[in-house]
Amino acid sequence: MDFMIIVGFAALAVVIAAASFLLGRFRPRTDGRLFNSLLIAESVIYLGLAVWLAVSDLPRFLIGNHYLFADTFGAYEILITSVLFLLSAVYSRGYLASLLERGEIERSLLGLFYGSFALLPLVLVMGFLANNIALMWIFAELSTLFSVVLLVTLKARENITAALKYVFVTSTAMLFAFIGVIVLFALSRTAVPGGTLNWTDLMAAASGIPPKLYTFAFVLLFIGFAAKAAIVPFHTWLPTVYVRAPSVVAVISGAVLNLGLYAIIRLYAIGHQVGDDKFLNPLLITFGAISIFVAALALIARTNTKKVIAFSGVEQAGLILVAIGLGSPVALFWALFHKAGNALVKALLFFSAGIFHRQYNSNKFFAIKSPFRLQPLATWGLILGSAAAIGTPTLPVFLAKFNILSVMASQALPLFIAVLAGFLLVAAGFGYFLVRAFSQPDDDSIQPYPTPMAMKAPIVAALLGLFALGLYLPGWLNTTLNTIVSDLGF
Amino acid sequence: MNNALFGDDIIKILLVFLIGSAALVITQRSLTSLFSIYALQSAILAAIALVLFTREATLSLLFMALLTILSKVVIIPMFLRRLLAVMPIKRDLEFRYLTPISSIMLSAALFFVVYKAFTVFSASLAVGPLFLLGAVIGVSLALMGMLVIMSRRKVVTKIIGYLTMENGVLLFSLFIAEMPFIIEVLIVVDLLMIIVLSAVLAFGIDSSVEAFHKRLSQLGLESED
Repeated sequence: MDFMIIVGFAALAVVIAAASFLLGRFRPRTDGRLFNSLLIAESVIYLGLAVWLAVSDLPRFLIGNHYLFADTFGAYEILITSVLFLLSAVYSRGYLASLLERGEIERSLLGLFYGSFALLPLVLVMGFLANNIALMWIFAELSTLFSVVLLVTLKARENITAALKYVFVTSTAMLFAFIGVIVLFALSRTAVPGGTLNWTDLMAAASGIPPKLYTFAFVLLFIGFAAKAAIVPFHTWLPTVYVRAPSVVAVISGAVLNLGLYAIIRLYAIGHQVGDDKFLNPLLITFGAISIFVAALALIARTNTKKVIAFSGVEQAGLILVAIGLGSPVALFWALFHKAGNALVKALLFFSAGIFHRQYNSNKFFAIKSPFRLQPLATWGLILGSAAAIGTPTLPVFLAKFNILSVMASQALPLFIAVLAGFLLVAAGFGYFLVRAFSQPDDDSIQPYPTPMAMKAPIVAALLGLFALGLYLPGWLNTTLNTIVSDLGF
Repeated sequence: MNNALFGDDIIKILLVFLIGSAALVITQRSLTSLFSIYALQSAILAAIALVLFTREATLSLLFMALLTILSKVVIIPMFLRRLLAVMPIKRDLEFRYLTPISSIMLSAALFFVVYKAFTVFSASLAVGPLFLLGAVIGVSLALMGMLVIMSRRKVVTKIIGYLTMENGVLLFSLFIAEMPFIIEVLIVVDLLMIIVLSAVLAFGIDSSVEAFHKRLSQLGLESED
């Protein structure tokens, strides 16, 4: 029975990917909407499976050798991924049609695109279900692979360059993580006879692992997963990729970043059990704070909407890292909460930016003319999304930032002041961008791009979700997050 | 006993050759030679795995050796040579940040850093006598590969750098006994996919977008339309 859930996730994605690929190859004239209907069907079933997994008895092992297991943390991440997947699958119905119409993607590559799109959520879900660190590494690498295929199917030379940058930065970093995996295995033999890479076994045997040596393994693993999570200085691929990726791909890439952070949190939990906090906490806080600052400074001068969103992503990843590094259960609770809120904010911003790109054929702010007349929904999406990203009250990012900052203030005042200054800079950057974007002279000659319903609905859904999450923390979510915090040993 | 000592010596000699091959990768400008050096380097790696296999008789070592010979000595270099046939460049003359000489000097420095780090590490672990040497050379090889990625501009050379890194990591894993077998297989398969992908992408960077998509179709990834 437990095994069936994996079959459910895997078989579905593989069948749909194969169908898309074969249709694309042998029936290149197939209507794009057919591919998309398949993808939406997959995403709906994924959401159903994710909910089913979340409400079932957790934690439990899914296969005999304990390589795969589901606990509340994994189920929570899978739920977030499935929501993002559903939203972007619906959105892509309108978006891909528009890309096709304007010749930005070739009809013959549609099958390849949808095939990879169907497989990407599968590798992410498997990554979240992996109990074995090496297996997690493999799925993280595979997620790079499918993201890259999604990038290069678009017809632009810059996409190939962006994809190459992505592969080289993340895969090189992941090779260091590979060394880390081997070191960790060698290390585990001091505590577990025969050695293990299973997270649950490592957690149980943590007291037998020497903290100093764990530091060594952690640093190597951190390099790899930090590159996946776009932590400075391994973030360089993110702005390049986000600018070139279609909005739908960018949204699902948000889940790829989550996988990187997820692995870091898991590894940190082992470090916490080992008793290595004294080294790990300052390490994470340093990298997190630097990420926030670099992102804040980079944000101010940006003229490209998607780059602004990308640097905001670096900032949020930095925030989560700082929160983990604080090593307090409260901060960890809000960091986990932030993952859900941040996912919705990113989706909202990218979906809005996507509509702007359709309307003005450019991501630059100076192309935006008469936005309220032409694309009122996307305009409000961008404004509210930016407001949410900088942490405006009544929206979920505010709750996370506020609570993490208050923990920080009680622990280390200088850090609190520095991070707060970083947040203010980010807010200034967003504000400056919006003011410049929406104060361009009106142009009455531009015809509105007829935004299809499929592109509007995800924006509305993301907005509703954001306000709901910002105003009311449901009891089940509270319980879930508390369970995760205690599962992680805090 | 004598046999084991003899094996140790052979492994040490092979390890020195590996470092030599990495130094060649850093300095070599002709792409064809680069591919040959890479194939040679992988062959040395496979030989080390085989020598280790004769001593420890772990099946995963034999499997690793065969897989390395098949994929890295035969398939990948062949693939890269075919790539070169359609590409307009034959030599990679450009270096960024570091000249070959300073790269070599930097790698010598890195060698010492890695050695320092691993002496501390291996002292507190119950590992074989050759572990320290293998670990130091493996990780240094990986770092030298990274220097190649950083200092070269052409994507093809960067790929060779990446592959060298991967060889280094693999060498390191050889000296840890009883690695979980399935993980090794999965990792090798995964790395293979990444390499093929980088190669496909390498088509694109040196050609126009239309030609790139046409080549995608030649690889069977896209239908003729």
